[in-house]
Amino acid sequence: MTDQTSEHLLVAGASRGAAGIPRWLAVALAGAVALAAGVFVARTTADSSPIGQEASALFGVTLPDLEGREQKLEQWKGKLLVVNFWATWCAPCREEMPQFIKAQTEFGAKGLQFVGIAVDQADKTQQFAKEIGLNYPALVGGMGAMQLSKTLGNEMMALPFTVVVGRNGRILHTQLGPLKQAQLDSLLSKNL
Amino acid sequence: MDLLPISTGSPPKRVLSRALAAIAAALALGALPATAAGVPGLEPKLLPAEQAFRFSARALDAKTLEARFDVADGYYLYRDRMTFAAATGGPTLGVAALPPGKRKHDEFFGDVETYRGSVVVKVPVVDGTPGQSVVVTADSQGCADIGVCYPPSAQQVRLTLPALGAGPGPVVEPARAQKGLFK
Repeated sequence: MTDQTSEHLLVAGASRGAAGIPRWLAVALAGAVALAAGVFVARTTADSSPIGQEASALFGVTLPDLEGREQKLEQWKGKLLVVNFWATWCAPCREEMPQFIKAQTEFGAKGLQFVGIAVDQADKTQQFAKEIGLNYPALVGGMGAMQLSKTLGNEMMALPFTVVVGRNGRILHTQLGPLKQAQLDSLLSKNL
Repeated sequence: MDLLPISTGSPPKRVLSRALAAIAAALALGALPATAAGVPGLEPKLLPAEQAFRFSARALDAKTLEARFDVADGYYLYRDRMTFAAATGGPTLGVAALPPGKRKHDEFFGDVETYRGSVVVKVPVVDGTPGQSVVVTADSQGCADIGVCYPPSAQQVRLTLPALGAGPGPVVEPARAQKGLFK
């Protein structure tokens, strides 16, 4: 984290708190205008949005699965790929996973592929995967996976963080915080 | 809409400003869920963990440390994930007197206690002597109300145990936080 980023975020945080309708309105207006123009709003921080870019940072990654076998993410290229960074210590992560399991069951045959990357220990990941009946690959990344998510736009390195990659290998969507059912439905209907 | 009958003063201007206000309000209402939903570029503005959960500590006397977390609005820490440890070679720490947190039932973690606002914890120093320095590592883990959690984090400060009758030592923050906030 650079100092510059910290200061920006501090400012952003303050305007959000005590604040102020004017600030909110300004943000809302700016966002709406930019979206209407089909442009993604430049973030106050220095980095750029990964949307539309090749997901090469992801496809180059190899991580062990729950059986300890190395899995290269590239094997799922060509599918509508939803990579979900999660952890057992993260309640919101655990909460959203049942809907992923359901979607994998329903749309797996049509080319949807969920992959979970756990920022966690192997034994805890394994235990929870069993507990909820995970039906898609869970890879164990530890804290290194957090760095990977950062390169994909997760600046704050918080969880859950989800990256959706289209069949063409380009990033369609990144999401910090839970993916809403409606968002998932919309992504599936447009891209599957 | 009753814009026209009411706007008798300077009609065009008033109508315009009202219309703008209405548009702005509508956009704001529309944009808020979008913000929470993480539309690219409109992602919720989050604080880095060390600013959301600001740690500081001081030595009250040679036998007691006072650790403190200032939790930003909209964030919380888990009580059972807060621990304090001293680096080996120096004095050791006793059991921290964690104050009771706010109880809530979590679907996955069962009954948990969380802290918001300021949390002050007294930590006994078992075998310290005045003038001795102690490196304290505070482990904590918390989340933001918008539905994200931060990984467990370790923050460290070096304190010097004060002389008998000298009163509490200075409040010390981790070096990284000081740099980010004050430089």
